Amino acid sequence: MMATLVQVDDISKAYSGLVVLDHVSFEVLAGEWIAIMGPSGSGKTTLINILGGLDRPTRGRAVVDGVDVGKLGERELTRYRAERVGFVFQHFHLVPYLSAVENVMLAQYFHSVADEAEAVESLARVGLKDRIHHLPSQLSGGEQQRVALARALINHPKLILADEPTGNLDEANEHIVLELLQELHRAGHTILLVTHSPEIGRMADRRIELAHGRLTQIVANVT
Amino acid sequence: MFWRILWRLLYASRARLVLALIAVASGAAVCTALLNLDLDATDKLTREFRVLGANVIISAPQTGDAAATLGAASMREIADLRLPGVVAAAPYLYLRAEANAGRNSTPVIVAGTWLDEVARMNSWWKVDGNWVSARDNRSDCMIGELVASRLGLLPGQSLKIHYAGREAALTVAGIVTAGSSEDTEIFIGISLAQELAGLGARASLIQISARGSTAEMEEVVRRLSTALPGLEVRPVRQIAEAEGRLLGRIRGLIFATVFLILTLTSLGVLAAMAGLAMERRRDVGLMKALGGSVRTIMRFFFAEATAIGFAGGLLGFAAGVVLSEWVGQQVFSVSVTPRLIVLPATLGLMVLVSLAGALPLRLLGRVRPSEILRGE
Repeated sequence: MMATLVQVDDISKAYSGLVVLDHVSFEVLAGEWIAIMGPSGSGKTTLINILGGLDRPTRGRAVVDGVDVGKLGERELTRYRAERVGFVFQHFHLVPYLSAVENVMLAQYFHSVADEAEAVESLARVGLKDRIHHLPSQLSGGEQQRVALARALINHPKLILADEPTGNLDEANEHIVLELLQELHRAGHTILLVTHSPEIGRMADRRIELAHGRLTQIVANVT
Repeated sequence: MFWRILWRLLYASRARLVLALIAVASGAAVCTALLNLDLDATDKLTREFRVLGANVIISAPQTGDAAATLGAASMREIADLRLPGVVAAAPYLYLRAEANAGRNSTPVIVAGTWLDEVARMNSWWKVDGNWVSARDNRSDCMIGELVASRLGLLPGQSLKIHYAGREAALTVAGIVTAGSSEDTEIFIGISLAQELAGLGARASLIQISARGSTAEMEEVVRRLSTALPGLEVRPVRQIAEAEGRLLGRIRGLIFATVFLILTLTSLGVLAAMAGLAMERRRDVGLMKALGGSVRTIMRFFFAEATAIGFAGGLLGFAAGVVLSEWVGQQVFSVSVTPRLIVLPATLGLMVLVSLAGALPLRLLGRVRPSEILRGE
């Protein structure tokens, strides 16, 4: 029996009166791959941001690994982001003047101590051993996203939050990144992945579908 | 990792940072020049001022007794002291006499002294004609320009001095323009003055011109007072105070300018850093999302500002040393020796100014990563 890693309990979020999440509740077990789906503006990214400690719910609770994220102070939130979650963004978001290995080491540095050998190994796992000293501008989109994946994993987070990680990639690179995510899933990582793609949604264990900020259904995929 | 990221930050923003560096280096150059001038040139000017005429006067106590004038022994005692920094020293015997040249006559103050010391003690005098170089010249004299004007005299012409029924005939060697009481005096050899006075080898007072710091001057006065217990030894405070006021004004001007330069430098850095802050919003948002605390992230930026302050301070110090030498020569006519203490002072000021200019970067601490990372 897997333990619950994420518990979202009646969460709502409003910006200046505009409700973007409306009484959303669900649970995620440790080691699960969850696809969060829905049309644009349905609240997917807001939900990911709340779970990642980048935003706070207006009401309700988001508990990750036993921590009620909404109740953390600024300093605790910073530690939470460094230690418990790994982000992968649609637009990669690498620091442009740092090399691939330095981008990975930056996450280590914020977590505790930068270890170049470990960072290189992490890049090797995503197939970028020969690109470690390249700047993001010298890498393809797929390679940049693989650097972002290596960065997300370097601190061994409990939860990987991926916001449309293949949204900016061509088919070949999408395939590479998805294979890496599948590998991570098989290795026991818990993944929450926002996607518009039904194919990617079907790769997950379950799909959480949102519309207008409301959870419309949770679908378990049959493998 | 800190230094690695810092280097990358500096390299990535080099174009904008070069502007900040130029602002800091320029400020540092002017500050270095002014501080060097303050420390070195004013010290040299102090020494220059000290040789503008006598700055120590020795006289007999004011008892009203005519016999209480100084004897020749006092000069010998002073000479025996071998005081450091003494530029000139001479006895003076003052007489209220009558002078005439042809049909013109006028009452004058006759100053009998060692004529060779007059030039050393009053090097700033403007002299039309010649100085008298022999100490006890009995045929030549120097006269103030007002006396020359009243008597209608030019260098090379003759005059007569009358005192207590005695008379001396002299030739004008030079006409003195001093801008002070000397313009109404006639300078003759002291032995001739003593003959006119009929007092023997006595003098009214002794004037000493010495150079040195205030402390050195105080030491000269102390030693003279000890060696000449029956006499009054007085520093010439009027000159010292005027000199102090002038130097105080120069120093005030220097510090006001330094303050202004530091403010302008800080504004230059601020302009460069404000642009940088806008450029780095996305990086800061990302760093915060990755778990970077505001303090850790700000440390990069303030280390960057410190590096600029340090590098600009070093460059500016080198330029400022050259500038201070040039200003010293052009404005004060003195050679300025660079003072080592100015280097840490300039570096410290420039680092502070750069950090002050980098304060807008603190606003980056308020960046919300969720807003920054929402999209491109």
